Amino acid sequence: MAENKTKLNDGMYVIGGLFIAISVLMFASPNMPSMENDWVTLPLIGLPILGSLLLMGFASAVPAWRKESISETIKYASLGIALIVLIITTLMMTDILMNVHWANITFNQYMYEVEYNWINSIGAEWHVGIDGLSMPMVWLTALLVPITIITTWNEKKPWYYHPLLILMGGCLIGVFVSLDFFMFYVFWELTLVPMFFLILNWGGKERKYAAQKFFIYTFTASILMLLGIITLYLLQDPSTANASITGRTFDMHDMIQNAQEQVILGNIWLGPGVQKLLFVLFMAGFLVKLPVVPFHTWLPDAHVQAPTGGSMLLAGVMLKMGAYGMFRIPISMFPYALVEFQMPLMIIGMISLFYGAWVCLGQTNLKRMVAYSSVSHMGIILLGIASLQPLGFAGAIFMMFAHGLISPMLFGVAGAFKHHYHTLEIGSMRGMAKHSPWLAGNMMFSWMGSLGLPLLAGFVAEVAVLIALWFEFGWWVIIPGITLAITAAYYLWSMQRTIFEGGENTELPKSLGDEKPRDIALSENIGLISLAILIVIFGIFPFIFFEMMSGYSSELIKQMLMDDIMRRW
Amino acid sequence: MAAYDVLSIDGGLKLLPEIVLLAGILALFFITNLGDAKIRIPLTRLRIPALLGGNRFKWNSDPRIPGIVSVFTLIFAIGMLIQTLGDDCADIMKGFCSETTILTTTGKNPVHLLKLDSFSRLFELMFFLALLLVSAASLNRLQADSNPSNDDLEQLLDNRRQVDFYLLLLISGLGMTVVAMSMNLFVLFIGLELASLPIYVLVAFHKESKAGSEAGVKYFITGAISSAVGLYGMSLLYLWSGSLQLTVLEAAWASMDTPEALPLFGISLLLVGFGFKISSVPFHFVAPDAYSGASSPVAALLATASKTLGFIGLMRILMIVTLPETGETAVWMFAFGTLSVVTMTWGNLAALGSENPKRMLAYSSVAHAGYMMAALVAVAAWKSGSYTETNNNGLMAAELIIGAIIFHLFVLISFKIGAFMVISHLETEDDVTDMSSLHGLAKREPIIATSMFVFMLALAGVPPLAGFMSKFLMVTGIVQVASADVLVNNNVDLIPTILGMHWTFFLAIAIFINSAISLYYYLRIGVLMFFEESSTRLPLPKVSILRFVIFVCAIGTVFFGINSDWLVETVTNAASALFADS
Repeated sequence: MAENKTKLNDGMYVIGGLFIAISVLMFASPNMPSMENDWVTLPLIGLPILGSLLLMGFASAVPAWRKESISETIKYASLGIALIVLIITTLMMTDILMNVHWANITFNQYMYEVEYNWINSIGAEWHVGIDGLSMPMVWLTALLVPITIITTWNEKKPWYYHPLLILMGGCLIGVFVSLDFFMFYVFWELTLVPMFFLILNWGGKERKYAAQKFFIYTFTASILMLLGIITLYLLQDPSTANASITGRTFDMHDMIQNAQEQVILGNIWLGPGVQKLLFVLFMAGFLVKLPVVPFHTWLPDAHVQAPTGGSMLLAGVMLKMGAYGMFRIPISMFPYALVEFQMPLMIIGMISLFYGAWVCLGQTNLKRMVAYSSVSHMGIILLGIASLQPLGFAGAIFMMFAHGLISPMLFGVAGAFKHHYHTLEIGSMRGMAKHSPWLAGNMMFSWMGSLGLPLLAGFVAEVAVLIALWFEFGWWVIIPGITLAITAAYYLWSMQRTIFEGGENTELPKSLGDEKPRDIALSENIGLISLAILIVIFGIFPFIFFEMMSGYSSELIKQMLMDDIMRRW
Repeated sequence: MAAYDVLSIDGGLKLLPEIVLLAGILALFFITNLGDAKIRIPLTRLRIPALLGGNRFKWNSDPRIPGIVSVFTLIFAIGMLIQTLGDDCADIMKGFCSETTILTTTGKNPVHLLKLDSFSRLFELMFFLALLLVSAASLNRLQADSNPSNDDLEQLLDNRRQVDFYLLLLISGLGMTVVAMSMNLFVLFIGLELASLPIYVLVAFHKESKAGSEAGVKYFITGAISSAVGLYGMSLLYLWSGSLQLTVLEAAWASMDTPEALPLFGISLLLVGFGFKISSVPFHFVAPDAYSGASSPVAALLATASKTLGFIGLMRILMIVTLPETGETAVWMFAFGTLSVVTMTWGNLAALGSENPKRMLAYSSVAHAGYMMAALVAVAAWKSGSYTETNNNGLMAAELIIGAIIFHLFVLISFKIGAFMVISHLETEDDVTDMSSLHGLAKREPIIATSMFVFMLALAGVPPLAGFMSKFLMVTGIVQVASADVLVNNNVDLIPTILGMHWTFFLAIAIFINSAISLYYYLRIGVLMFFEESSTRLPLPKVSILRFVIFVCAIGTVFFGINSDWLVETVTNAASALFADS
C-alpha cells in the first residue's frame, strides 16, 4: 500500500496549500473589508466555489480504492451547499431577508449591492448587486443546481461530478450579480472551465471534439466582447479613479449612469459610430453564447456529447448568460445603436426561430432535436428584444426563465432515456409508455411545455413576445406563428412514434439487447417532477416573476429608449 | 541621482547582490575542491594542510552540495537585493527607487556603465527568481551517487558535472544582471555574452542523448553568428557616433535630420542579435530544437530568462535610442509590426502541429514573443500620433504598454517554468519526446495534471489567471494608442470609426485571433491528460522538490491573476524609470 500512502500525502499537501493560498489571498490586502450585510459575495459565490474546490481537493486526497466509500458523503455535501444557496436566494426573492419590492426598483438601482476594492491599479472592483433582471436568473441558477444534482444522483465518479456542478453554479451566479466589467468577464470565462470538464469526463463518444469545440467557439466570441470592454473602459474620463494607473474604472453602474445622463440631455452617449461599434462587439459575444443562427453550430455538438447534468445546466442557465448580457450591457448602455440595429436583430431572430424549428423536423437524435429547439426558442428572446416594447422585453426575460425550467427537463428526460434505453434515436422504438410510464409521462409533459401549451410557463412568454411583435411589426408575426406550428409538429410527431405507437407488440430499440426495459429511478423522478410542478406554477401564476420583469422592462424603456424610439418616428 | 565611480567602495556596495553571486561562484569552486592534501614545508617534517587537492573530505564529497550552495546563494542574493532596495527606495513594495549611476572617469568624459533603478532592480529580481526555481528543480535532475567507488570513473565524472551545471547557471545569472543594469552598449554586450555562453553549454549539457548535443551545437552556432552580427552593428554605431553610451547614442539619433545609412544599418544588425534572443521570426528556427534537446529546467531558462535578456536589449535600443520626437514615425514601426504579426501567427500555427510537448512550448514561446513585439510597436504608434494624454497620475500610455510587457515577462516565470517543470517531472520516468507521455496524467497524478492545466490556461490567457492580466494590459495599451484619435470624435458613423483607427488597432485583433488559435493546442494538453488512457496507473517517481516548485508556480499563476495589484504598480514604476532618462 505504499503507493496509496503517497497519494494520500499528496492530497493533504494540496488541501493545506489551498488553505494557505486562500488565507494569503484574503489577508494579503491590509484593509480586508468587513462582510456584514453582504448576502451575495460569500453565501452565493464564495460558498459554492470554495466548497467545491475543497470537496474536490478532499476527493483527490483519498486513494483510488477508497473513493467509492466517500462518494455518498461528497454527494450529500454538494447537495447541502446547493440547497443553502437555494434557500438564501429564495429568501431574497420573497422579501423576507430585506424588505425589497422587486417590481418597484428604479432603473440602474440594485439591491444587496456591495462594493470592495479588488485590483485598484487597473480600477477593477468587486461590485455585486441584484435587480429585477438578475433576481430571476440568480434564483433559476440556484434552483437548477440542486435539481440537477438530484436528477443525476447516480452519475459515475460522483466525487468530482457533483462538486463540479456546484462550482458551475457559483460561477454562473457570479456572472449574474457582477456589476463590474472585469469581474463580469472573469466569471463569464470561468464558467467554461467546469463545463469543459463535465463534457470531457462524463460525455458521449465524441466528447473530446465537442468539449474543445465548445470551449474554443465561445472563448473566441467572448474575446470580441473583451475588445468591447477594453474600448469602453478607455473611453471613460481618465480622471475617474485616482488609484488606477489608467485613471479609469470598470464600474458598470457608473457607465450606465453616464449613458442615462446623456439620454436625459438628449445626446447620444459616445457618439453614433462608437456606440454602434461597441454594440456590434458586445452583441457578437452574446449572440454566439445565446446562440443564434449562423453561430449555433457549437450548441448541438456540446449538447449531444454533454452528460445529462451538463446539458441541463448548459441549456438552463448558460445560454441565458447571452440574453442576460444583452440586457445588462448593450441595451442599457447603447440605446441609440439598439434602435438603429432593430431590423437586423429582428431578422436574425426570425431566421433563428424558423431555422431551428425547421431543422428539428429532420432530427433523429433526441438530444440534437432538443438542442435545435433551444436555438429556436432563443430566437424568440431576440424577437422580444427587437420589438422594443416593454411587453416584448418582459416576455423575453420571462422566456429566459421559462426556458430555463423547461429545457433542463427536456434534457433530463433525454438523459434518462439514454440511460435506460442506451440510445437517443427517436424512431428506434415504439410504445415506450407501456414499459416506462413515468419516463413517458415526464417526456410528454416536457415536450408539451416546450411547444407552448397554455397554462405552462413557456406559453406566457411566447404570448407576450407575439403581442409585442404584433404591435411593432404587424403581420410579420405570421412567421413566429408558423414556427410554433412546426414546433408542435415535430414534438407531436416524435411523441407519436416513440411513446404511443406499436400497440400490443411494442418495439424495443436494438441497443437494449436482452435487457428488460426499466422505468426511471426515484431520484430522477424527484428532479423531473419538481421541474414539472414549477413549470405549472409559473404557467398559472406567472406574476410571481413577471411583475418584477415587466417593472424592470418598463423602467428600462422609459429611462433609456423612449427618446430614441421617438426620434425614429 | 547619485553617481559613483565603478571602483569606489560606495559603488561596490550598491552591487551587493552581484557580489553575493560572485561569492557563490567562488564558493562553488572552492568548497567542492577542498581536500586533504598537505604540503610539507621543505627541510622540515611539518606538513600543513593545503586544502585544495588530494582526496575530498567526506562532508564535501556529497554530490548534492553544489545544488544546495547554488540555491542558498540565490536566496541570499534576493535578500541582498531587497536590502539594497531598502536603502534606495522610498517604498520597497512598490519599487519607487532613486537612481544610482555607476560610471568610470578614467577617460576625458565620464562614461556611464551601469544604472540601478526600479527598472533594472525588477529585472534582477526576475532573473534571480527564475534561476532559483530552475536550480531548485535541478537538484534531482542529474544522477548522482554520494558514495562512488573510487574506480568508477563515470560516477565520479557525474558528480563533477553537478558543479559544472550550477557554476554555469550562476555565471549566466551574473551576466543577466549586468544586462539589466547596463547603460552602455559595450557593457550590455559583455553581459549578454557572459549570460549566453554558459547557456550554450547548458543546452548541450544533456549529453546522454544525441538530441542534446545536436541542440547544443545548433544553438551555439546560431547564437554565435547572431552575436557576431550584433557586434558588427555595434561597431558601426561606434563608428558613427564615437560612443556606445546609450544617452550619447540617443542624443546623436535625435540630432539626425534625415535618416542616415550607417546608424540605420547598425541598428538593424543589432536587432538581429536581440531577435535571436527573443526567438522572433525569422530567427526562431533553432528554438524548438534547442528546447527539445536541452533538459527541461534549462529549456525553462531559455524560455524565460534568456527571452527577457533579449527584451531588455530591445527596450533599451528601441525605447531609448531610436524613439523619435512626438509626431514622428519611428523607422522600425511598420517593419516591426509586420514582423510581430508574422511571429505570433507562425509560432501558433507551428505549435498546432507539433507532437513533442517541448517543441510545442517552444513555438508557444515564439508566439508570446510576437505579442510582446506588437506591444512595442504600439509605443511607436503612440509617439507618431498627436496623442499625449496623461492622466492624473502623470502616466503615459507608453508606460502602461512597457509595464504590460514587463508584467508578462514576470508572470511567464510562474507558468512557463511551471509547465517545463511538469515535463521535467515526467522526464524522471522516461524521455518526453511526444504527447503520449502526458496521456492519462490526471489519473496518475491529479494534482500535477491540474497544475499543468492551469499553466496551459494561463498561457492561453484565460481569466482569472496571470496570463490573462498581462494580455489584457497589453491589449488595453494597444487599443488606447490606436483608437485615441477616432474615439473622441463624436459625430462619425460606424464605418468611418473603424476606418479611422490607427493600423496598430489590428495588432490587437491579431493578438485576439492568435489567442483563439492557440487555445486549441493548449486545451489539447488538457484533453490528453484528462481523457486519454495511459499504459500505467502508477504515480510518477516521488521528487518532493520538483513537486514543490510546480506547486509554487501554480500558486503564483493564480495569485498574480487574482491579486495583481502590487505587480501592476511595480511594473509601471519600472516602465517610468525606463522612460525617465529619455
